[in-house]
Amino acid sequence: MSCSQFDWKAYALGELNATERGAAEGHAATCAACREELAGLRLTLDAMSTLREEEVPRRIAFVSDKVFEPRWWQRPAQWMTSPTFAAAMLIAAAILVHAFARPGADPAAIDAQVNSAVTKAVATIEARHEQEAAEWNAAYTLLNKQFLQVYKQTSGLSLQ
Amino acid sequence: MIFREVEDLDLIAKAKRGDVEAYNLLVSRWEKRVFNYLLRLVANREDAMDVSQDVFLKAYQNLPKLEDPARFTGWLFRIAHNEAFSLLRKKRPESELVGEPRPVATNAKMLPIELSLTVESALARLSDEQREAVLLKVYQGFKFEEMAEVLGCPVSTVKSRLYTALDLLKATLAPAILRGEA
Repeated sequence: MSCSQFDWKAYALGELNATERGAAEGHAATCAACREELAGLRLTLDAMSTLREEEVPRRIAFVSDKVFEPRWWQRPAQWMTSPTFAAAMLIAAAILVHAFARPGADPAAIDAQVNSAVTKAVATIEARHEQEAAEWNAAYTLLNKQFLQVYKQTSGLSLQ
Repeated sequence: MIFREVEDLDLIAKAKRGDVEAYNLLVSRWEKRVFNYLLRLVANREDAMDVSQDVFLKAYQNLPKLEDPARFTGWLFRIAHNEAFSLLRKKRPESELVGEPRPVATNAKMLPIELSLTVESALARLSDEQREAVLLKVYQGFKFEEMAEVLGCPVSTVKSRLYTALDLLKATLAPAILRGEA
């Protein structure tokens, strides 16, 4: 029977600090019962150290391996839980609410509005085209006149 | 050892930032220790392999929650402990049948392989909690405080399980070894 004031298991397992270890060793030198207790523990731990670590039978799959990639049927589910999908759904919902919940929305009125806008846009474009054509004609006439003057001065001839 | 720890800390920091290759390297470094711990605990090679895989996947998923990278080892073994005991609880009726005490070898001269088998047999006769305490202390080298964190229990409970296990192992192994040496 060992002396109860010494924790020989903690000693054998390396859990005592230097002071505690010194005190325990000093006691063991004079106490046969404690030496026997310690010898039994060391024998046990030595025997346990014969159990070797085994090799891992196959490599642990890395998180980057294909095995962790989502299957084809998991991908839509993953996408549907993504923030992008949530944002897209929010925008779609807002468009639908805007289109159908607007007070007084009438297909005929919308058509009239669209036709009016198209007519106005076409008129604006045509007016701009006419103005551009007039400006171009004026510029051409002026250039032609200047060319004839220069030609008369340099050749003394008349084209007419 | 110090350099290795620094490197591990660096890898953990990189893995936390989403560096998958850094995490893969951590897996390579720790898979053997985790596998052997689980192998002795669940006593089945395939189960140990499957649980090891789960442990490293869960660790990766939860890595952003690890506040102190210096505690990675204890944290990893805590995950392994939870996964192993989850499996043991599911398999409890079966393991109770399988875990019948087996006679310890008593032949006159023990070969190293026979001694290993004797140790395995003696470990198998311990309760799951006692065996786990031995595995963490003797084979994984954790301190009592670290074991308490892994197991989620007070140090006094850790010591109680470990000391009881050591008494049982000593009672089984010491006479067998002495007979073998005689």
